[in-house]
Amino acid sequence: MRFGRVLTALACVALLGTSSACREREGTAKGDRAELGTQPGAPVPDAARAQQDSVVATRVDTAVSPGALGTVPAAPVDLWHGPGDRPFEVALRTGDPASAMSRRFGRITLRTSLRTRAADLGQYPCTSCHLGRRIVLADDRVADAHQNITVVHPQQTGGTCSTCHAADNVELLALKSGERATLDHTYRLCAQCHFSQAEAWAAGAHGKRLDGWQGRRVLMGCADCHDPHQPALEPRIPFRAPRIERIRGSGK
Amino acid sequence: MHLKPFVLTALDSATSGGRRYHVWMGGLTLIMLVGAYAYSLQLRYGLGVTGMNDHVSWGLYISNFTFLVGLAAAAMMLVLPAYILKDVDFGRAVLMAEAVAVAALVMCLAFVVVDIGNPLGGWHLMPGIGFLNWPRSLLAWDVLVLNGYLALNLAIPFYILYSRFSGRQPDKRKYIPWMYIAVMWAVSIHLVTAFLLAGLPARPFWNTALLGPRFLASAFTAGPAFVILLLWFIRRETEYKISEGAFAKLALITTVAAQINLVMLGSELFYKFYSPTHHGINARYLFFGLDGHNALVPWIWTAIALSTVATIALMIHPVRRNPRWLIPACAALFVGIWIEKGIGLVVPGFVPSPLGEIVEYTPSLVELGVTAGIWALGMFVLTVLVRVALPIELGDVRSPYIDERRVTTIVRPRSSRPPRADVRPVRTR
Amino acid sequence: MTSDPTTEVPRDEAGQTLLQKRVDRRRALGILLGGAAAGTSAVAACAPVSAMTPESKEAKLLAWREYIKGNYRTMTEAERAETIARLERLAELKRGVDVTIQSTGAQPGVVFGYGFNISKCKGFRSCVEACINENNLDRRAATQYIRIFEMEDGVIDFDHADATFQHEVPAEGHFYIGTQCFQCADPPCVKVCPVGATWQEPDGITVVDYDWCIGCRYCMAACPYWARRFNWDEPEVPAAELNTNQHYLGNRARKAGVVEKCHFCIHRTRKGQLPACAEACPTGARVFGNLLDPNSEIRWVLANKRIFRLKEDLKIEPRFWYFTD
Repeated sequence: MRFGRVLTALACVALLGTSSACREREGTAKGDRAELGTQPGAPVPDAARAQQDSVVATRVDTAVSPGALGTVPAAPVDLWHGPGDRPFEVALRTGDPASAMSRRFGRITLRTSLRTRAADLGQYPCTSCHLGRRIVLADDRVADAHQNITVVHPQQTGGTCSTCHAADNVELLALKSGERATLDHTYRLCAQCHFSQAEAWAAGAHGKRLDGWQGRRVLMGCADCHDPHQPALEPRIPFRAPRIERIRGSGK
Repeated sequence: MHLKPFVLTALDSATSGGRRYHVWMGGLTLIMLVGAYAYSLQLRYGLGVTGMNDHVSWGLYISNFTFLVGLAAAAMMLVLPAYILKDVDFGRAVLMAEAVAVAALVMCLAFVVVDIGNPLGGWHLMPGIGFLNWPRSLLAWDVLVLNGYLALNLAIPFYILYSRFSGRQPDKRKYIPWMYIAVMWAVSIHLVTAFLLAGLPARPFWNTALLGPRFLASAFTAGPAFVILLLWFIRRETEYKISEGAFAKLALITTVAAQINLVMLGSELFYKFYSPTHHGINARYLFFGLDGHNALVPWIWTAIALSTVATIALMIHPVRRNPRWLIPACAALFVGIWIEKGIGLVVPGFVPSPLGEIVEYTPSLVELGVTAGIWALGMFVLTVLVRVALPIELGDVRSPYIDERRVTTIVRPRSSRPPRADVRPVRTR
Repeated sequence: MTSDPTTEVPRDEAGQTLLQKRVDRRRALGILLGGAAAGTSAVAACAPVSAMTPESKEAKLLAWREYIKGNYRTMTEAERAETIARLERLAELKRGVDVTIQSTGAQPGVVFGYGFNISKCKGFRSCVEACINENNLDRRAATQYIRIFEMEDGVIDFDHADATFQHEVPAEGHFYIGTQCFQCADPPCVKVCPVGATWQEPDGITVVDYDWCIGCRYCMAACPYWARRFNWDEPEVPAAELNTNQHYLGNRARKAGVVEKCHFCIHRTRKGQLPACAEACPTGARVFGNLLDPNSEIRWVLANKRIFRLKEDLKIEPRFWYFTD
């Protein structure tokens, strides 16, 4: 909820700045919320940069207030589009330290800087072990080394580490086309099999969306909610139940 | 010209009486004070002090309201034969019935006022300075018809009594058209109140075409039953003679209406239970309870037992003609319909909620206090009205300014005693 | 934020002038009554006037002005600005909170619609939590606009659903379905209000003027989705938890004795943001958007998913669709 507050506050600040633009925003360019999504100083990579990103994992390390939205543009993906066949232009919500999700799923520790998902792995970069070495099938040694990873997903589907990870650089995702994607662009990998989910995700019927129904959209990536190694959401205790019977008034 | 003595006489009539009368009025005043205190609590702390909640958002207040609208409407059933069909038997009963209507309406309006969460915003209803959502909202209709009916029921008896008081024969051309309007109006107040509930598809318990007719039938049962009780009491306590014929006719009306009411109830039950759809779930709660929630079950069966037994009793001619049986039967009908059309009609509309949640309703002490206070208020008003009307009807009091030379045109007083015209209005008894 | 209150487009001109007339008459009455009240208070206040602080005097005067004000729908822009200024000042005087009340109007060409994915909802009730905080819902009465029902797989049956579940969710063999105000296109609650204190805005949101409502609760009886709540007591929100970003027709302070309801977070959605519930949902089960925009998310859902609505037979066209993956 704290996250929601901050978000609201930010939204207000941004809207104050662009209030006149916002009022007539209806039907205008989708990019006019860019200031909202991307904080000053945060990277606003253009298409070319994104293309580059998908090949080389760049470390983004700009300090922004915690809980701010960081976005990277989604790379164009063939076969599926956003609503109304418009080119898929949504932005990705990246690893967000103070978000409800990260707290609840406990996968991301609290940080004060804005990082992309790839950068979230900074504490344990895969490359610190997998230095150019080809990864192998999961065996006992692998399991010992990755106690925090329960490899439900690859095993159930008969996959191995290298089904998804680039064999020579675990921090990159290997697509069937031979392309490579950074961990920011997990949807490109996931969509290869989960195409109907990907389509719904792009269109707005799957996955959490943040910020707005108007203008530029901010989506959470696949791996923001689903642990790629164990994709089912974990059960949890819900927020408190309603009291069906009214609490009897006692007056002041 | 006669207004001042009329008011003075009225005050005099209303405030003088024997010890039993004063005890009765004192008792009512006490209950009203308790009710006023309870209402002050409600004003101070909000409706939270009642037993109502987001699920059962109308309770005892609106239950009494729907019942009393019927009582008010039913009074007019006696007016029709008396004034328009010139049924002499009813002549004397009619003013009493109109007093019942006024008292019932006063209670109705009081129950609506205490049920409202923001009574200070009441001016929002007033066309001109506020906004009355008429004709779309049935509640706006109800506001109009209830106040109109109250005005009619105050104006017509006032005109008749005032004419008699000032020694004139009431001019039929002046009041008979209003009588016609009032009779139709009586049907309308009850239908509008029924439509207020029946027009809500959200509440299948009420959303039935039979609700309006059922309202009328039950009103024409409880109303005359109550008038019988009142007339019986008046006959016993005063010199105002009400003929056996009036009782017989009232009892007949009551009986027929009670039969129709039972038929309609049976029809409703058949519809709800023969092929139990989801729309019958509220009725199931009312009659049999749901998942262990059965607060209303004893009430409704009591009501049905009372109504059925009383109706059957009234169908037997010797029983109906014998006051020893007629009076308890009427009382039973009155109570039975009060339950059936009050709590038994309003509360089950809310249980279970449209989303299937079951929250039962129990009125709080404050609510009971306010309700008792309003009933006391109604009885108080009724007593005063009857008390004012009787001596005038009996010819016991007259305006002191009547020109005796022109007295030939006036109605001969029904009392055997000749009227006395002193300077002050005079009570002959 | 009080500047630039967008005008609601009146439905018809005749109605507008008629309503305008009412306002003027009411104003005249207000002035008259105000004068009378000032006179009586001048007499009555002889003794205690010294005990009255300027703040409490100001609060009393403001409260009186608030009492005689009209229906929000019939107010002019200037009157709206005035009442908002009064309400903000009253919040400061009475509670010491600095709130901002918007009067943002509906965007043209926008009608809001909502989608709820019953395959995705896991019953976490994050939406409920967000709603309570966002909309300043009464904490003491534990008011909640949203209900999440736990149902057994296989049948949608509210009679046997459980809204009070408090165990680890999602439970085996169960699914979850949420309800709130469905912002019907033909709202029965609006039709029945005797004073016109609730109405549908051009963007499809049914709102309540909390200061015009008389608390008869007819709308609560009329709502087939049990979407309306009544303030049985004076609502309580701790000042520290108060959301100060408010809208006149939305989450501003309510008082005892009036009805309130979900308003699709009017203070957020009119500025392009998602409602708090949609944004809070961790599973993405909630889809919100503009029904008139063929490229909106909600339109995609309507076109591509199996959808249904609750109680379609009532023909009141709720703008809230359930769908499955």
